[in-house]
Amino acid sequence: MSSHRTARVGRVLSGALRLWEVSASVEQDPEGAFLVHAASGTTLRIVPGWLVFRDGHLLASHAGLAGLLRTLRQELAPDAPRGRLIIGSQSLA
Amino acid sequence: MSPLPISVITGFLGSGKTTLLSRLLRDPAAARTAVIVNELGEVGLDHLLVEASDEEIVLLEGGCLCCKVRGDLVRTAGDLLARRARGEAEFDRIVVETTGLADPAPILQALMTDREIADALRLESVIATVDCAAGGATLDAHPESVKQAALADRIVLTKTDLADPSALAERLRRLNPAAPQLTALHGAVDARLLFTSSAYEPRFYESHAHSDNVTSFCLRRTEPLHAVTLSLFLQLLAEHCGGKLLRLKGLVDVVECPGRPAVIHGVQHVFHPPAWLDAWPDGERSTRIVVISQGLDAGWLQDLLEILDDEVQACSIS
Repeated sequence: MSSHRTARVGRVLSGALRLWEVSASVEQDPEGAFLVHAASGTTLRIVPGWLVFRDGHLLASHAGLAGLLRTLRQELAPDAPRGRLIIGSQSLA
Repeated sequence: MSPLPISVITGFLGSGKTTLLSRLLRDPAAARTAVIVNELGEVGLDHLLVEASDEEIVLLEGGCLCCKVRGDLVRTAGDLLARRARGEAEFDRIVVETTGLADPAPILQALMTDREIADALRLESVIATVDCAAGGATLDAHPESVKQAALADRIVLTKTDLADPSALAERLRRLNPAAPQLTALHGAVDARLLFTSSAYEPRFYESHAHSDNVTSFCLRRTEPLHAVTLSLFLQLLAEHCGGKLLRLKGLVDVVECPGRPAVIHGVQHVFHPPAWLDAWPDGERSTRIVVISQGLDAGWLQDLLEILDDEVQACSIS
């Protein structure tokens, strides 16, 4: 993953945690994985690809960022408000 | 049969909604208008087609008010449509006047999605009245009034004879730079300026401002987006942003439909189906998505959009 993209992913993870009002930090380990340290004591290791580990155990794997964010929220902010996209039938035209 | 336009007039208590409506109904441009009011106030509406309704807003367990506005508002609109279909009432537009304390978002969502009426109606315009005499203090004290102004397509400044509107007008421009402002002395305003809408409104895309904890910004992208990216992006916004997303409106350059911009429009997590224009209305082929929010970060959303499209692009190449 390019450094540009890595930085962007890091910002998205940090921004999501702020959005859910989770007190946590995001950093990268020497192998390029993201470490999310929550103030609650939980640490998640996220390997690009995306594999999510907790305490060395694989928690979830996702093909894309959408699934990764869902797992992060479930693990770190289970009480954060969750919405569901609704597409109405009413045309704009 | 083409959908009937429906507009919503919102505004805080005493901001002049009913006075505005009363004058509008005398304007030939607003003739053949049916009116739904939440409460019959002190200002009488001398009009043949006025129906009263009480909103039923149910607080869901998750704290979401948005999905349960049903009851009288929708039923009343449905009844009006049925009477029109039977030839018992003649009108070409419906206007809903909300209560002064109402959050307009659930009302708009109900009008956009309720299966009994959504197909027969087209959300035309959201109009917010703001009182120049007390509007500033109201915005300070009542978050509902901030949201009413932030969600509006048009803002009508009332009671301009009682106070200089310039400071309030500037504050409202920062709060909702996309909404044209009109003044209405004793409710007098040209109906044609209120009841016009199109899928594309160029003014909407100029916005970037912050006021009263409401931020308005425009995400831009010159490379076309994959349709799947757009879908994932909207799903993520709806899923994670909750009530912080007030309104989103945009023109999107979609890879799969070159030359035909998609118009997207949502209120919180409820969206219209995308409309497709035949051509770029201003000649600028680029994605522009305006977000009006309480606390969302423009950089975060832009990063999210770019990463999602990278992922979709990688999948489509492999």
